[in-house]
Amino acid sequence: MIQSSGPRPTGRRIRAGLRDTLLSYAFLAPALVLLAVFTFYPLGYGAYLGFTKYTGAQFAQGLGPQFIGLENFKALIADPLFWTGLKNSLKYLLIVPILQFASLAVAVLVNRNLPGMAFFRGAYYVPVVTSISLAAVMWEWVYNKEGTLNWILGALHLLPQGGAFGWLNNEHTALYAILLVTFWRGFGYYMVLYIAGLQSIPEELEEAAVLDGANRWQRFWGITVPMMRPTILLCTLLSTIAAIRALEEVLVLTNGGPLNSTYTALMYVYSKAFQGFNFDYGLASAAGLVVAAVALALSLLNFRFFRSDVEES
Amino acid sequence: MKKAALALSLALAASTAFAQKPVEITFWSWYLSPKFDAYIKDSIAAFEKANPTIKVKWFDKQDSLVQDFLSSVNLGNAPDVVNLNIDETAKAAQNGFLRPVDSLVSKASLTSTFYPQSIANFSTGGKVYGFPWYGWLNEGVLLYNPDLFKKAGLSRAPRTMTELLSYAKTIKDKTGAYGYVPAYKDPNTASFLGYFYSEGLPVYDKAGKAAFNTAAHAALLQQYVNLYKGGYVPEDAIRREAFQVATELYAQGKVAMVVGGPQALNRLKDNNPGLYKSVVVTEAPLGKAGVQTGGSMDLVIPTASKHPAEAAKFAAFMTNNVNQMKFARIVPIVPTTRAAQNDAYFKQAGTDAIARATSLVGASGRYINPGYKAPKNSDDLYKNFNDNIEAALLGRKTAQQALNDSVAYWNANMK
Repeated sequence: MIQSSGPRPTGRRIRAGLRDTLLSYAFLAPALVLLAVFTFYPLGYGAYLGFTKYTGAQFAQGLGPQFIGLENFKALIADPLFWTGLKNSLKYLLIVPILQFASLAVAVLVNRNLPGMAFFRGAYYVPVVTSISLAAVMWEWVYNKEGTLNWILGALHLLPQGGAFGWLNNEHTALYAILLVTFWRGFGYYMVLYIAGLQSIPEELEEAAVLDGANRWQRFWGITVPMMRPTILLCTLLSTIAAIRALEEVLVLTNGGPLNSTYTALMYVYSKAFQGFNFDYGLASAAGLVVAAVALALSLLNFRFFRSDVEES
Repeated sequence: MKKAALALSLALAASTAFAQKPVEITFWSWYLSPKFDAYIKDSIAAFEKANPTIKVKWFDKQDSLVQDFLSSVNLGNAPDVVNLNIDETAKAAQNGFLRPVDSLVSKASLTSTFYPQSIANFSTGGKVYGFPWYGWLNEGVLLYNPDLFKKAGLSRAPRTMTELLSYAKTIKDKTGAYGYVPAYKDPNTASFLGYFYSEGLPVYDKAGKAAFNTAAHAALLQQYVNLYKGGYVPEDAIRREAFQVATELYAQGKVAMVVGGPQALNRLKDNNPGLYKSVVVTEAPLGKAGVQTGGSMDLVIPTASKHPAEAAKFAAFMTNNVNQMKFARIVPIVPTTRAAQNDAYFKQAGTDAIARATSLVGASGRYINPGYKAPKNSDDLYKNFNDNIEAALLGRKTAQQALNDSVAYWNANMK
């Protein structure tokens, strides 16, 4: 029998410990209540709705959801539009590594005390706070058949005579054109997170590496990237979840077309849940659950991949 | 005895006070603020003056109207009067969100005030669910750029749809500008289905099944597919509403003709006053059926309204002829009231393009007709239809195959 070698807790100590525990929970309580009301309950109720029939007609008559087991999931499996959406949402993940690498690289570049750097940091952040409707108008000009992108490609002789096309009107290019918009909108956000991470790296490490004769590239891979792994994990997670939940850009730029080439899984959820008065909350919730499960699985993968790296580093 | 008299007088006083307490109703409009604030506020003030026992609280809702409506029903504070369109009214009525207005006002007053077709537009299952309000005609007027016509060697406006399509080719070939932007992908009832109706081709058969896949339907679609594939239509027409694309490009001198309501001219006047001065406004060509298509707004009374009688009174007031005509003088809408067709305002001649367009279409409210009834799960079915039209335009399916596939989907999924 293993016995504790430390001093036995006295009654007073137990009471003090209990008081501290209760006090901790008292401080946590407001946040927990808010989380319970605004996060856990909707989450649980939404998950429950996925197993029910709950349509506009039921809602109008004041009837509650009706439990139907896995029927909604069977309907999803049988609906090619849902699969198209899911496939496109997975394609959307292509943007994650590009976005993360680029924003980290630029964060390193602008994380210096050089004149004008504040302007660059601000400029990169502007798209984050630009409304999507305004961004859509701007990108329409870029992607139009007679738009800026074709003009530039034409001027560089990269576009054959008469080969111009609207990038958002072509089923082979529309998704990638939208990915670029997502890149443009997300870049500044992740860059700011990376700058915050970079500023927490001890300067002595860099100085020691300089003394050891490491060049800039070696310092980036040898010090910056390993030290930034927790931040990279966070940003990659956020970016993966955002990619799987892509909706706004698609909705305003192509509305899922052409030929559903940009139709995402969340568009499916959105259309089933908020489409006029004949909505289907049950089916939308089931689709939402599948999207959430995919996002969770990808997040776990990210965690597994980066976590071991973080531990090693 | 004294006590009884006192109790009686107290009860009378209480009931008088109760009777005099104004009833407050909530009115939700759709995309009317801030441009028409003055008109709405004046109308409400006039109503309240005529009905001192009713107060109206007005909110203008925009893209979140339906979601806000659902939330308000859930929270037990539903609005009393809501502004919807034909499609949303049908959906809301089919799902039980609305009260039939013919149970709140006499059918005779509805039929004497509004065009029969306007009432039919808002009827579902034999009941009327909305007070018809302002409307528009899809083929209302044709406006064209005379300079582009001249360059293309054209001397007059097209008189038929066939001629319009042939003009589109001539203009593009000779000037480089697009002739016309057809409504390939317009939402819901304004979609390509409207072209079937214009050409006298049915959407449903007598049994109520989808039947828009005959050889004649396919031939019509093929004409428009050829136009798209030949580069005679701006590419954006497969992604955006034709009216948006056409009005934008017309203002840039890149489209020669716009078919639509006078509201196109309002945009042109704002965006390119120079081009507005030269625009020619004339009657739009119609399809073989010789009919117009169009849409309309209405005012509905939700099932969850707590004051349906007062709400109906207000909705009837807002949509009466006097108020619709006041609205028509501010913005070129097409009133849905019978009396509007004889109003002198629509008979005045003028050289201004908007005035001319208004005089051409303002009195034509009786023609407002989407051409067919929306099915119950219309959003799913319209999406499938539009996806198939897109597949035909992009060469993934033949016109016949696209229509066959859509009809099969409609008949398998129509509720």
